[in-house]
Amino acid sequence: MSVVDSAVERVADSPVVSKDDLPLLLVLPGLFVFLAFMLFPVLYLVYLSFTNAEPATLFQGKEQWVGLANYATVLSDGQFWNSMGVTWLFVATSVALKVLVGLGIGLVVTGNRVRGKRFMRALIIIPLGLPGIFTITIWRGIFSSAEFGLANQFLRMAGLDSIAWLSERWMAFLAYNVTEAWLAYPFMVIITVSALQDVSEELHEAAMIDGAGFFARFLHVTLPSIKRPVLFASILTAAASFQQFLIPYVFNQGGPSRTNELLIVYGYREAFRFQKYGEGAAIMLVAVAVIGVFMMLNVKKGQLAEGVDDA
Amino acid sequence: MSAISDIAAELADDARTAAMAPVESVKDARYTLEGIREGRVSPATVLKTAGITLGAAVVVALLLFPLYWVAVGAFSGTGASLYSSSGIRLWPADPTIEPFLWVIGDLIVPSYRISLGLGGYEVFLQTPELTFLDVSQYGVTETSEFKRFFANSLTVAIPTVILAMCLIVPSAYALSRRQFIGRSKVLYGYVLFTQIGGGLGVALLIALYALFVQFGFNDSKLALSAYYAATAVPFNTWLLKTYMDGIPVSYEEAAMMDGAPSWKIVTEIILPLSKAGLATVFIFTFLTGWTEFVVAQTLLSTDNYTLPVGLYSLVGRYSIPWARFSAFALTFAAPIMLIYLFAQRYIEGGLSFGGMEG
Repeated sequence: MSVVDSAVERVADSPVVSKDDLPLLLVLPGLFVFLAFMLFPVLYLVYLSFTNAEPATLFQGKEQWVGLANYATVLSDGQFWNSMGVTWLFVATSVALKVLVGLGIGLVVTGNRVRGKRFMRALIIIPLGLPGIFTITIWRGIFSSAEFGLANQFLRMAGLDSIAWLSERWMAFLAYNVTEAWLAYPFMVIITVSALQDVSEELHEAAMIDGAGFFARFLHVTLPSIKRPVLFASILTAAASFQQFLIPYVFNQGGPSRTNELLIVYGYREAFRFQKYGEGAAIMLVAVAVIGVFMMLNVKKGQLAEGVDDA
Repeated sequence: MSAISDIAAELADDARTAAMAPVESVKDARYTLEGIREGRVSPATVLKTAGITLGAAVVVALLLFPLYWVAVGAFSGTGASLYSSSGIRLWPADPTIEPFLWVIGDLIVPSYRISLGLGGYEVFLQTPELTFLDVSQYGVTETSEFKRFFANSLTVAIPTVILAMCLIVPSAYALSRRQFIGRSKVLYGYVLFTQIGGGLGVALLIALYALFVQFGFNDSKLALSAYYAATAVPFNTWLLKTYMDGIPVSYEEAAMMDGAPSWKIVTEIILPLSKAGLATVFIFTFLTGWTEFVVAQTLLSTDNYTLPVGLYSLVGRYSIPWARFSAFALTFAAPIMLIYLFAQRYIEGGLSFGGMEG
């Protein structure tokens, strides 16, 4: 028996990889390409965050190891903490808005007395199929200060003065929130509607017999039964809010004068606008770490990856 | 092509349901009216129902108003001021398709001269110039770059689909039908990435850009396609795997009893039965490349801009009227929306969209 044969035999006999694992070969190409474009850049990002990389140095291979200097600079920068604060504020306000809007619309399109519910639901989820860049550029037009700006047209109809939406800090922040809510409402409605349809009719009837009014029933029957799915949707949508990039970027680049740069926009601009790749990488990694911890806590509590085990 | 005839049948079914809806509601209304006349139904109840339904319809209309506004904007030459000194206008004053003509531009196939050398003689073949649309006839002199962006998008999206399908289909089959080492780890990783990894793309952009430049890939549409295919792998593999899980194992067992080799089981049973799932994955991977903005904008130069980047490049250019911008945006988004809504029904089983029924 030659050496090669015995090697093959040993591999075949080894407990780690057996002949039954051949189907692994079908999965590996996909996994490899995925990791090459995802995991490898992550590692490289980590490396960059420890260097003073700039376009001038990096592409000549002259970037230098600076240890934790980038992290120190970033964490002692007021601009970073402003971004962190605005980002969490945005998460809080936009998630609250999204849950309220989703719940409101969900109740409307499942109402007992509403006719044509299915048709309405089909219409309502149309924005789900729209590309993000389309929706966001359109909403930028809505909040535009130009003649066609829809938000200002409504204000004028109501006899109020126009607002320069995108060049005032909190007005721009409000505009982000409204747009984010519109982007996310189909998802929230889908989850809420399916939760509302699972609310037990008998409980409702029992409460009605006991004389509970609409609001009492909503508070004591509906809300407790839909709490879990809505919480689940809120967690996912909170992660989306935290990572929101396109809205501030397209609206006014996180302006006016960098006040509304959400974390990811901040990192992106540090890198590509101000040419500080090292610092940009450090910011992105801090953002990823924060969202990672946030999601980990939620996965532990909310069992997000449910269904893998029984699949 | 039974897949196409299936789809056609379903579309026809949808159309029939939609067409019958008014008839059904008239029937309903007549029944209710009869009820009131005979005193079975109290008019107050009917009024309440009508009022609440009207309220719900208003909510739906308000939600979709931005889309209506864009459409009105695109068809009005001036740029959609719904509010003017003369009051509110919900319809363009003089509708025009000029903005769309600006977007699409000329559709002219120029004439080609094909020459063949035949034994010392030369034979010329002059193809005629084919004019489908000459916008200058309609008074539109300059046109948008839509066609160039469109061509760029196609050259990105087509390799994305081909590569992604080659990676996804075998994985999905193996994950659905076979047991092997690390199977549940791969699945768990894919699902986790699907649910939380959406924003990772922008975070990784710095590293991705630096790597692409160093490998000389930046501004390469093919490298961009490979990246899109890679990002499409987790979600679509999971989706197709879930779809394949729904195919009864007994079909395969029967084929195996008849002595079919396993590759034949795949090509004769699994693939034909999962064509709806394959169609969905096809559409999704296509749309990945077709609609992605941030990475494309960072990696591509002006000449290679895809449609989303081209759309963004119009934002804030004050020389472009809002009407033309709306028309451009709609021409980009409307087909995607239709495709997506159609694909929606196929993913209902795989994701938690089931609740939308009924």
